[in-house]
Amino acid sequence: MTVAMDKSGGAASNAKHEKSLVVDGVRQFFGTKGAKVHALSRIDLVIEPGQFVCLAGPSGCGKTTLLRLIAGFMRPTEGQITVDGRVVSKPGSDRGMVFQAPTLYPWMDVRQNIELGLKFQGVHKAARGIESERYMKMVGLSDFAERKPYELSGGMQQRCQIARVLASDPDFVLMDEPFGALDALTRERLQEELLTIWRETGKTILFITHSVEEAVFLGSRVLVMSRRPGKIVLDEPVDLAVDGQRLPVAELRSAPAFVALRDKVRDAIQASM
Amino acid sequence: MSINSTAIDPTAAGDNPDEIAGITPPPPARWLRVGKSPWITRLLALVAFVIVWWFLTTPWSWHEGKPIMLPLYLPSIPDVWAAFVRSMTIHPIAAGVDRMVVGEQGYYLWQHLLATLQRIGFGLLFAIIVGIPVGLFMASFRFFNTAAEPYINFLRALPPLGYIGLLIVWFGIGNTSKIWLLFLAAFPPITIATIAGVRGIREDQIHAAQTLGAKRYQILSKVMIPATAPDLITGIRVAVGFAWTTVVAAELNNGIPGIGGLAYASGTELQTPLTIVCIIVIGITAIILDSGIKALEKVIVPWRGKA
Repeated sequence: MTVAMDKSGGAASNAKHEKSLVVDGVRQFFGTKGAKVHALSRIDLVIEPGQFVCLAGPSGCGKTTLLRLIAGFMRPTEGQITVDGRVVSKPGSDRGMVFQAPTLYPWMDVRQNIELGLKFQGVHKAARGIESERYMKMVGLSDFAERKPYELSGGMQQRCQIARVLASDPDFVLMDEPFGALDALTRERLQEELLTIWRETGKTILFITHSVEEAVFLGSRVLVMSRRPGKIVLDEPVDLAVDGQRLPVAELRSAPAFVALRDKVRDAIQASM
Repeated sequence: MSINSTAIDPTAAGDNPDEIAGITPPPPARWLRVGKSPWITRLLALVAFVIVWWFLTTPWSWHEGKPIMLPLYLPSIPDVWAAFVRSMTIHPIAAGVDRMVVGEQGYYLWQHLLATLQRIGFGLLFAIIVGIPVGLFMASFRFFNTAAEPYINFLRALPPLGYIGLLIVWFGIGNTSKIWLLFLAAFPPITIATIAGVRGIREDQIHAAQTLGAKRYQILSKVMIPATAPDLITGIRVAVGFAWTTVVAAELNNGIPGIGGLAYASGTELQTPLTIVCIIVIGITAIILDSGIKALEKVIVPWRGKA
């Protein structure tokens, strides 16, 4: 086990997370016959348990569309999405979502927001309390448990959203440019925190971004989508380990392999435009 | 008056310490910013109002010993005060007559007010009980909305005086027809506010709940209803306003006790001082009610305008 993983890395072997997500021949059209928009041309994709998949691509290429299809907010025009062999037809707590604009509920405080998923699932109050404490600590919001979302900064709101999704213990965490609206410094810090959390919890994450740097930094696998109609033009595993040792989060950005991969992904995006 | 002398003072707006050139909007001239508390400004406005009233209703020697406005049109302040005192006490029916009567029309003023508040309270209560579910239904089911919307708009467009006669025929001349009228006046704004509230919910707030595993009834109780609350309170505020403006129409017939009925009856009997007493009491009560709802809003939906 690596230095960066040593805290509670054992979570990665949790059997509950051993589900894979399959996107099978999905195409998506929007609008009526007159003004039809071809959003996604055939997407085939398998996301294995424990992967941190980053999907990068130019704005308007259909990244968010794909994520919303996986979340079950809409049905694909063609093809299907399956989790563990079962077709996705509606949203469910097995696929948690972190939205670009925080969707915290202002009538609840931070703790109530984080416990909401467990409450929906009928978890007992005492057990909810333990979980919310754990995730508030993980995202550094323990001192803000009684605050209302509108009293938090943008970065803290996104931390709270991440904690809310993690607390409800989904098999897949879908993230739609969650750091897109934050300033550069907050953004970098949250990226490092998210990576640490992933190393600790071993969750399967699908993360959408238009930042190449972010994709390579966070992902264990980077996908590049072409512009509309979107299709996947690069599927690259990210292996920044040195001598089989995972690099500490803080040293990743300066690793030579990081720079090389970043350039490769950037070229792929530019070639697709 | 000193107001005039400072108004033309050229330095009035120039030496304001917290004014940063070009950044903060220019503050009102100094003579308008009487203090930090708005209440001082309001008090000054009231004093000005009373002075004008007093000026118009006092007999002046240069005006043939008569006030500028005759008492029948605008009674003097002492006359209005006397009418107010009469309406709150047991007093002789007329000067020099032994027969004593209670307040006005057999009731004290506060009894008139209470009777009206009760009617408004019941009308509003029924409007809330019916209006919110109807609004939720209309917002949730397109068919229901298409079918019901024209009737809501029709009802909203009707002046209450137009159909109070019909309500009396249907429900009698007692309290029932009045409460019906107030209900019909208060019901559309509550329904419309509920619809607006539900439609204004961000789709992703519903999606977020779904991805957290919410069932349908949980989405309704934990997300949709609280998210609609700010609009609902606005709707109730508007509805209370509508109910007040409708209350005189409701109390035109057999409206005693009732402050709207008293205002109308005293007007027809040329008791102008009493009419003015009623108007002042109705206005002040309405303002107090509205402030109460506003205060309640701060407690119930503290996030309003922030999220």
